[in-house]
Amino acid sequence: MNKISPYGLLLDQTLAVCARLLLEQWRQRRGLIFWAVFPAAMMMLFGLVYAHNASMRAGLDAAAAGILMGAALFFSCLGGTVSIIAAERERQTLRRLLASPLHPAAYFLGVVLAQMVLAAVQVLMLYSIAWFIGARYHGSLLLGGLILLLSVFAYVGMGFFLGARFARRSEEVVVALSAIGVPLLVLGGTFFPLEIMPTAMQTVAQLNPMLHMNQAFKGVAAYNLGLAELRFEIIFLCVFCAVSLALGLKSYRYLLVADQKI
Amino acid sequence: MTIALQIDSLFKRFGKQPVLNGFSLQVARGDVVGLLGPNGCGKSTVLNIICQLLRADAGQVELMGQPMIEQSAHARARIGYCAQESALYPDLFPQENIQFFARLYGVPAEQRKARVSELMERFSLMPYAATRAGLLSGGWQQRLSLAVALVHRPELLVLDEPTVAVDVEARMDLWRLIEGLRDSGTTILLTSHHLAEAERLCNRVALMRNGKVVAEGSVPELISRVPGQAVVKVQSEDHQAVIQRAFDLDWPVRQHAGKISLLLPKKLSLREIVDALDGSKVSALSIEPVTLEDAYLELVGDNSTDSN
Repeated sequence: MNKISPYGLLLDQTLAVCARLLLEQWRQRRGLIFWAVFPAAMMMLFGLVYAHNASMRAGLDAAAAGILMGAALFFSCLGGTVSIIAAERERQTLRRLLASPLHPAAYFLGVVLAQMVLAAVQVLMLYSIAWFIGARYHGSLLLGGLILLLSVFAYVGMGFFLGARFARRSEEVVVALSAIGVPLLVLGGTFFPLEIMPTAMQTVAQLNPMLHMNQAFKGVAAYNLGLAELRFEIIFLCVFCAVSLALGLKSYRYLLVADQKI
Repeated sequence: MTIALQIDSLFKRFGKQPVLNGFSLQVARGDVVGLLGPNGCGKSTVLNIICQLLRADAGQVELMGQPMIEQSAHARARIGYCAQESALYPDLFPQENIQFFARLYGVPAEQRKARVSELMERFSLMPYAATRAGLLSGGWQQRLSLAVALVHRPELLVLDEPTVAVDVEARMDLWRLIEGLRDSGTTILLTSHHLAEAERLCNRVALMRNGKVVAEGSVPELISRVPGQAVVKVQSEDHQAVIQRAFDLDWPVRQHAGKISLLLPKKLSLREIVDALDGSKVSALSIEPVTLEDAYLELVGDNSTDSN
């Protein structure tokens, strides 16, 4: 029956996984609403604070970029991926997927694609609010889009790793995110600027992909920096995306071992 | 006879615990083979190895004469797998669940719609087309799960205790569906704890103990290995007296769950049995044909069984 070429099958499997995840998200609208409310509320709160302190007004553009990377995409792309893995385990659909000819890369890319669609919606929503309260996007849309794509890819890779290793049940999703994800957020410069951290922390933070996502996107969105100025961050993210893909594929295979039973 | 599945000398251990100890089995094309055995004897491990969910430490599996290469998507595409849990996406409608797996298995786009409709019809799922899978009853979920497992017309259908989580009525329904698949020539390997299920559905049964097959054959063949023409189930105030009397008569005795069964070496009337057991304080007895359960207890044994 199988007359589809291997690449055609890979593409169709990727699209099938993506379509299924988006359909499930659409049918569980409550989850979508919470993911929308969280960054929107953060943006509103930041807007109120900056409006109250006129001298800090210049920081609002950077704050919008930071909220997108550190709050919205962190929870939807990384947290969402961990939840997807935990749900597949709980519903036992994981065993069905692992017993099917689904290529690990198709599963990974399907999740990435679905998260990219959700991220695009979040970007539109968050920047609409940001625009309304006075924040502006200054840089190249193309470069900003590229950084967002790389960031979503990296977040999904980390989500696969955390989900495969630490989230066997949905209750463990929050624990995995809190214990591992939130320290990465802190080290990523989401809550404090890198400059006020101790030197050792600054050195460790350089290994954190979230720092480079934050710096790269803030650089484009708030300070209109170009590819030349951000080349280190972009190269770091590209390399991390390759690592992320390898991590994702390895995690998918690890699930096979981790879910063995007699 | 064409061999659909050939399993040779599978070994598997989890840590220090051996689970499979040289498991071998042949499944002919079009046969329904049941794997029966106590919990932990390795039934699911065998299925997991066939479905590439587990890697064997040693041994070989061949499907339609071709070795199953581990981690090969091609090998997985030839098998349909249905576990005891329905393993469905609860927010998708039945046809969406089938459609999703059709895409994963590479069912060509131009055939997909027709195949999904065919399965929806065949498994009587049409009335539930607007019901999310998670809202279906256990029996209907398992029906859908079976439909999903068949979407790519697998060469071998693997069913891991498919009726364990459903009520009696749903079980009967599933049995009818599996009988339909058997009658249409689908090769099936299933595990079950229900001996009646195996007796009704399977052409052949393999009995497992300690990670290997201890007996294999058709249900009548397995029954013929019980040293008796009929089973007399006895109630008595004095078990020892009955056992002693049966010993004198040279009738094999089986004790299971505190009950005594006597195996009759030849067919006897009720009158003859009562006369033969006279004096052993029998309060009630029944004569029953030898069943797969007797063969199972005879060949696999269990912890509460003592044989003379």
